[in-house]
Amino acid sequence: MSLAVHRQTVPTRGVLFVGVGGQGVLLASTILGEVAMAAGLDVKKSEVHGMAKRGGVVFSHVRFGTEVFSPLIGLAEADALVAFEWAEGLRWLPYLKRDGLLVLDLARIVPPAAQRDHRTWTVRYPDLDPAALTGHHGPVVAVDARGRAMQLGSPHVANTILLGVLAARLEFPTALWEEVIERCVPPGTAAVNRRAFHEGRTLEPCALTWAQRWTPPQGVPGWRVAVATAWCKGCDICVRVCPEGILRPDGRGAVEVTVPERCTGCRLCEWLCPDFAITVHSRPAAPAGVAR
Amino acid sequence: MPHILCPGCGHGIVAGALLRAICRLGLDQDTVAVVAGIGCSSRLAGYLDFCTLHATHGRAPAFATGLKLARPDLHVIVITGDGDGLAIGGNHLIHAARRNVDLTCLLFNNEIYGMTGGQLAPTTREGGVATTAPYGNVEPPFDACRLLAAAGATFVARGLAAQPLVLEELIARALAHRGFAFVEVLTDCPEFHGRYNRLGSGAAMLLGQIRATAAVEAHLAPLASTVVHPGLPPVRPPVETGVLVETTRPEFGDRLRAAAARWADAREDHAP
Repeated sequence: MSLAVHRQTVPTRGVLFVGVGGQGVLLASTILGEVAMAAGLDVKKSEVHGMAKRGGVVFSHVRFGTEVFSPLIGLAEADALVAFEWAEGLRWLPYLKRDGLLVLDLARIVPPAAQRDHRTWTVRYPDLDPAALTGHHGPVVAVDARGRAMQLGSPHVANTILLGVLAARLEFPTALWEEVIERCVPPGTAAVNRRAFHEGRTLEPCALTWAQRWTPPQGVPGWRVAVATAWCKGCDICVRVCPEGILRPDGRGAVEVTVPERCTGCRLCEWLCPDFAITVHSRPAAPAGVAR
Repeated sequence: MPHILCPGCGHGIVAGALLRAICRLGLDQDTVAVVAGIGCSSRLAGYLDFCTLHATHGRAPAFATGLKLARPDLHVIVITGDGDGLAIGGNHLIHAARRNVDLTCLLFNNEIYGMTGGQLAPTTREGGVATTAPYGNVEPPFDACRLLAAAGATFVARGLAAQPLVLEELIARALAHRGFAFVEVLTDCPEFHGRYNRLGSGAAMLLGQIRATAAVEAHLAPLASTVVHPGLPPVRPPVETGVLVETTRPEFGDRLRAAAARWADAREDHAP
């Protein structure tokens, strides 16, 4: 794909930035808009506002060309889709042209609603498989921007890394990008953002990512509630505060754990027990049949 | 262990928060001294494996001042209750604050004298029934934090036993503060206050604290009045929690030692 910029009539191109709140989606799209403007193009931009609460969906349309009439990118009209988060990238795929460029951060931000079972951390979240996308669209550049950003010392510059990946495939001059990034990023972060930008320009699509390496424990009961019955006075506080409702009076003046495997390790009972009688252990439960 | 406190009493939660705060700051066990007066709260000193001192009723701040002057290297923690610290030892507490002695004072406010049988405390809510106020309390209660702030404490915070993590944070900040740090902790006395005033079990009283905090956050505090309605339990007016005062002022021991050094120099100058 070529998004070549000519002095003459440049057809309008559209780049769609998608991610979730807090990732710097809007800043990245602002930088692209500024770069296109500095290159003498007409730019129109549209974005969702109000996703201040981290985790909400954020997207930003950027269209640039000799003359742009509308800021909105229609279905299957985006020349490039820059997804800051894996599931968001999948969600917005219908907006990408058949041969459009897909830049994808393999960061995995699981929305609370997808955490079907917060005990075992099983989630309803699409598998991380960039290979499955190749062939259905244009070039797929899946990178581990967040992991690289953390290596650079600031997880906040993942957006600049992704911009670098995009910039390597657009034909705006590098000096222009650097100047605009320096102008737009928060004071004091210009140096790390410049490093991140160049990291992105040279970043190769990767196989195993930080996001993939992070695999939550599956199906392991990681918590064990131990009640020191001799210290328990049966005051009922833990019974009232346990969100899972797994503690109950045992009828002999103390409490007992009814469904130990449902413990989520929130430790409310431990912190709120005035008698130091409850301890929540984070190691795996003893095998069945082993008496404590 | 198990300690002597009644089922549902929140004092143990506060002790746990104190221990976690000390652990978080990484203080050496032998450099922590706990000075306590008399009362349910002050009993906790007996269960802590630090240097502990069980002082006379209300005089914990005075003992702690002496200890801190003699051993400036110690982290001296004063554990006191509302009756102990605000009534019997009221003067000792406000003068320790006035002098800005480098102490951390933890005041357990359960609105009653619990250990001695439920007598009226200076923090008992208006209308509250106590053994020495069988027809309801007619005295307005102290606001311990405003009192200590006015007396000159350089760190004043208020926490809830029902919010142990926030409390841990407040205590840790108080311990790290140099100067007189005062943390009032609202706890409960289900046995001698809750039962007489139909406030429910210890668990209910602690959960009620959360609701009161929510009322403050929702700016509904003016709606919760201190007026006593016949047939309804008296309410404790919702109060602000968190760090209320944080300033710096010269510490008492430093000033005293500087003055002593000046005096010694002056005496040498005039020596024959």
